[in-house]
Amino acid sequence: MRRELNLAVLSAAIGLSLSAVPSVHAANSVTAVDLDWTGAVVTCRTIQYVLENEMDYKVKTVSMPGGAGAWEAVRAGDVDYYCETWPSYNPVKSEYLTEYGGDGSLSIVADTGIVGSSGYYVPRYMVEGDSERGIEATAPDLKSYTDLNKYKDLFKSLESGDRGTVIACPVVAWECEDQKRMDLLEVDFHAQIMGSETAHWAEMQAKYKRGEPFFAYAWAPHWIHAALDMVEIEMPVYDEAKWPATTWAQDVTFKFANPKFMEENPDVVKLLEKHRLTNSQQATMIYEIDVNKRDTDEVVEEWMAANESVWRTWLP
Amino acid sequence: MSLAIQQERSPGWMSFIWQAHRGWFMTFAMFAVSLIVWKIHGTETAFPQSWVEAFPFAEKFKEFDRWARPIIQPTTRAIGAGVTWFYEIVVDFLIFTQWQIIFLILVLPAFAYGGLRLGLLAVCALSTWLVLDLWDESMETLGLMTISIVISIIIGVLLGICASQNDRFETILKPILDTMQTMPAFIYLIPAFFLFGLGAPGAILATVIYALPPIVRLTSLGIRQVPAGIDEAATSFGATRLQSLIKVKIPLAMPSIKLGVNQTVMMALGLVVLATFIAAPGLGDTVLSGMQRLNVGKALEGGLAIVLMAIVLDRVFYSIGHVDQTSNNKHDHRFRLFPQALENFKPILYIEYGIDWVWRQIANAGRFVAHSVSKPVCFLVAQFDAAFAVKLRELLLRRSFLIASLVLIAVLMLLHTYFDIFNNFPREWKHRFRTPVNQYMDELVTNKVFYAITTAIKEALYYGLINPLNMFLKGLPWWYTTAIFAGVAWLIGGRALAIGTLFGFLFIGAIDLWSFSMITLSTVTVSVFICFLIGVPLGVLAAYNRTADAIIKPILDTMQTMPVFVYLVPVIMLFGAGQIPAVIATVVYALPPLVRCTALGISELPEQINEVSSSFGATMTQTLMKVKVPMAVPALTLGINQGIMMALAMEVVTPLIGGKGLGQEVFTGMSLAHIGRTLQAGIGIVVLAIILDRISYAWSRSQREALGTN
Repeated sequence: MRRELNLAVLSAAIGLSLSAVPSVHAANSVTAVDLDWTGAVVTCRTIQYVLENEMDYKVKTVSMPGGAGAWEAVRAGDVDYYCETWPSYNPVKSEYLTEYGGDGSLSIVADTGIVGSSGYYVPRYMVEGDSERGIEATAPDLKSYTDLNKYKDLFKSLESGDRGTVIACPVVAWECEDQKRMDLLEVDFHAQIMGSETAHWAEMQAKYKRGEPFFAYAWAPHWIHAALDMVEIEMPVYDEAKWPATTWAQDVTFKFANPKFMEENPDVVKLLEKHRLTNSQQATMIYEIDVNKRDTDEVVEEWMAANESVWRTWLP
Repeated sequence: MSLAIQQERSPGWMSFIWQAHRGWFMTFAMFAVSLIVWKIHGTETAFPQSWVEAFPFAEKFKEFDRWARPIIQPTTRAIGAGVTWFYEIVVDFLIFTQWQIIFLILVLPAFAYGGLRLGLLAVCALSTWLVLDLWDESMETLGLMTISIVISIIIGVLLGICASQNDRFETILKPILDTMQTMPAFIYLIPAFFLFGLGAPGAILATVIYALPPIVRLTSLGIRQVPAGIDEAATSFGATRLQSLIKVKIPLAMPSIKLGVNQTVMMALGLVVLATFIAAPGLGDTVLSGMQRLNVGKALEGGLAIVLMAIVLDRVFYSIGHVDQTSNNKHDHRFRLFPQALENFKPILYIEYGIDWVWRQIANAGRFVAHSVSKPVCFLVAQFDAAFAVKLRELLLRRSFLIASLVLIAVLMLLHTYFDIFNNFPREWKHRFRTPVNQYMDELVTNKVFYAITTAIKEALYYGLINPLNMFLKGLPWWYTTAIFAGVAWLIGGRALAIGTLFGFLFIGAIDLWSFSMITLSTVTVSVFICFLIGVPLGVLAAYNRTADAIIKPILDTMQTMPVFVYLVPVIMLFGAGQIPAVIATVVYALPPLVRCTALGISELPEQINEVSSSFGATMTQTLMKVKVPMAVPALTLGINQGIMMALAMEVVTPLIGGKGLGQEVFTGMSLAHIGRTLQAGIGIVVLAIILDRISYAWSRSQREALGTN
């Protein structure tokens, strides 16, 4: 018991000394969210940079996976704004926008400037060969989805049996419908869902490093295109009526925010409205962070310093 | 013993074999029948769709959630705000105070309670956080953990005391605790965040739910185990029930309560990374973001920091519970750096002398400080109450180390406030090892020989175990599988268990999780089977060979405390994604208890067994295979039970690397923020876990009874 008393006394003393610590909360504080893909983090950090360095705001960032949970956080006011939403990948989006957007508990602010595209890729060495690495072209005629069945033996995997394998869209909840797409297009492939983005990119990267054939889903802008040299396979153009037997629509990504926050912080809203990044601007930063494995803040600060003319136009 | 008696009674050799190997025959018969059923039935069968439609659990729960949330939310959000306020005070203090001072505050208790070795371990851990540039993250995690642990202990001890006093309360509490322990934490993360708030409050409350069961159980157990005679003696001296409880029973139950605290600490630390899914700050984020960006090195740095925190917190809480209170001479014993055996070696002895001298000087200085503090304080107190002043003086002098530490910290803080004596941690001292780790990973991935080995393992696992079992379990009709499990439950655990099993399986079918559950079942079976194949020999080795034990033990410790997220990426890179890497990751996670239980089971056997057995002319191998392993079967079955539970807990993590089954449903529900869907998959896991736990536990008990040991 004596020892516990010691501990109690110690903690009491710590508690007392706590009162001496000055409060560090700035008056203008906003909460942003770092989502789980680097593009969204970069978009968010560029906004944060301006808020902190030009507008005297203190930005608190929380990290969490994107998706419905994060939408809910904005609605509840735990997070003030959400930097980058890809409409194709939020099957709950319509529900949220009618439920929360409709009753005013979420508001769309503006586009981010990033236009996303999604599709299927094979490594370039499969089509053209790679003399440097000593890889021969195994599928020289592979251009469109109609050629896939011809080469399906190349893409066989343990779990696919006689069929080829497509490394499919990694998260079931994104509702990409890869298997249905393959079946509807009569491509004899098995859609292997990796379970997480991490697993998806890891699998692609490992196969690429070993020079093996693979056929995989990916989206752009993304660092994977900088790290791996790949060719996109032609798919039928997007048509809502035929979905999922087509490719995805172009994703005009956008920002949204908590309406109460928007009322109280018109300055921030103006910044969010004017803020735009292009695909290539975002991709440069993503490359530095994910391929060269550099620190996110360092990369963003460097880019902001070099591109002052760009972000000056965002200022309210 | 009972086995031997049965053998004596049975005359013919046929029935002798039957008696001795009844279990095997029945297993074999069951398997044969199943195979026939599977052959006849063939195709994959769904649970009757009409039953599923009649029971729309997920949607109903979602409706309930919509209705209930606005009603509960104001209260829970207020609690959340309170927790956040407290968390921010603690973490601001830890982060914004100069690191040297925090370093002292954290290291001194380790020295005081655990002696030199623990103190040095703590210094090592804190230095690692500093060097890896993870100080702020570590402080955030430490803050989260401390608050969660304190809340868990307060609530847990109170609940445990109530449960020990009231049988009905305990019966109600027990299934709730079971559910809390088997329900994957993922499932209540999202509700915790909806109700209590994003980040710290949600994370703290989810951690409390997760870490609460052991302390409740062990508190109640400890108090109930106090012999009735002592309680009677206390009452006969005129103590009321409350007095007897507080003054007699709870102090006597302290060892058990402390064990509960220990378990709670370890459980809480297990949730660090998961809590990041609802934006908990700290080291978990380092691990998760490292994992998400395939930065294995970064994830490993975060993982190492968490492992060190877990080990130090565990040891500190352990030594707080294990200080020998009667020994006055404790410092001589506790401030020893090397094992006693090494003291024959002169230089070691001199080092020990040196340390001892330093310690004595510190103790003298401490006593001096305590004297100087106690004099004026006691003088002031004596003006009001002389008797109390004497007591106080004694109290202060006895805690000279603590008083001296506090004075030292206070002086340093004051000095720093006015004279700025401390610098920030120098940049040149910071070193990260992520780059070499990542490079090494790259080399390993492209290494042809290594890849050939991993591919071979993968194919053997797939064609040899996973695929056949998948086909088998999915192909068996639902009513047959249910009947088999209920039958086994009946044979092993009796009627109640059989009825429970029956309803559990019907429930899983009715909430449309049948085929997911069968995949889960096959993954768990395969994983535990492989764990058994690897774990038992390792356990035997550890029991026989001290060197092997010394090597295996720290590896097991690390395996148990290292967040699984750290090794998910290497597993995918080496084995590809899918059900096989899921099995491999599960094996890594579920192996330690099997090794431990086997080693314990064998080394616990009395020494005489060796002698008796060898006097009958048995070789060492014979003794091991024919005598020791059979006698260690109860411990082994307990290990299997633990392994099954760990494998099921892993079910919610493996979907990240392509694992299918119930865990994937949990993830899908989570990504859609569909509470009903997540919860229903979670309930599926709980039901499976409880059924498997009860069956394997009953099996373990029947094995113990068969051996006549308890």
